[in-house]
Amino acid sequence: MLLYAVVPPDATAPDGKGLASPRLETIRSALAAMIVEECPDRLHGTNEESRTFAEILCRLATTTPLLPIRFPTMLTTRSAVLAELQANETGWSKRLAELRGLSEVVIRAKWPDPNGELDAASRRSGTSYLESRAAALRRGDASIAEISELVRDWARDLKVLPSQQGIRIACLVADADIPLLRDAVLGWQQVGDHGQVVVGGPWPPFSFVVDQEAESA
Amino acid sequence: MSDAMERWSNDQVALVDLIDRVIGGGVVISGDVVIGIAGVDLVYLGLRLVLAPAHEVEESVALRRRSA
Repeated sequence: MLLYAVVPPDATAPDGKGLASPRLETIRSALAAMIVEECPDRLHGTNEESRTFAEILCRLATTTPLLPIRFPTMLTTRSAVLAELQANETGWSKRLAELRGLSEVVIRAKWPDPNGELDAASRRSGTSYLESRAAALRRGDASIAEISELVRDWARDLKVLPSQQGIRIACLVADADIPLLRDAVLGWQQVGDHGQVVVGGPWPPFSFVVDQEAESA
Repeated sequence: MSDAMERWSNDQVALVDLIDRVIGGGVVISGDVVIGIAGVDLVYLGLRLVLAPAHEVEESVALRRRSA
């Protein structure tokens, strides 16, 4: 069975097809439920499958709070799903309540062709390459600090995501505050040399399913 | 870049980020496996199944090496 999301026990699977079968199902325990799909075939993990999975989750998130499950996670039987639910329902139920009304947005800032700059610097000398690399890292750190400060009033939590190019910051934001955060970030882009800035979302809280502070305490 | 091109480009970037979160974020399910032969349990493995984008795994391995 392909697992989609943990939801409150009174939530129901949305109408519409899954990845491989004509419908989604709900498996319930006392404190939580899981949206699943009978999926007999092995998934290939293609971009198309990932995208369809994401679309189903985003649609589901408009109807109920949810904790998305990492794609593609499969368990063999209903009883295995139920056992997993029963083993984790207390923690999941608590986190679902904490995340009610909150969504994830991802802010990405990307500068024009950073690899081109590094290539050019590496052709000049090793020192030049290292200086150029250090400047790129400093620019990234400065942007992370600026954006973090900028969104402080709206973001309940922040997570800097790994990025090959530029920076990415995931923010946990109340649904009503998302337009304010988006306007602030896009305004910030226009007043400085911040490259291409994209605000993606709102999406289910992929990066915040675990309360990091509580877990590390 | 025209407005339409810029919007298309931004949409593509956001889609890439969404797919990255689908396979790199979310709840990680843990499981237990018992390996046995002819009905006799031989090896018990407590598993934490983690699927993640390669660049996140590489970063995590590098961090662990540095702290070791």
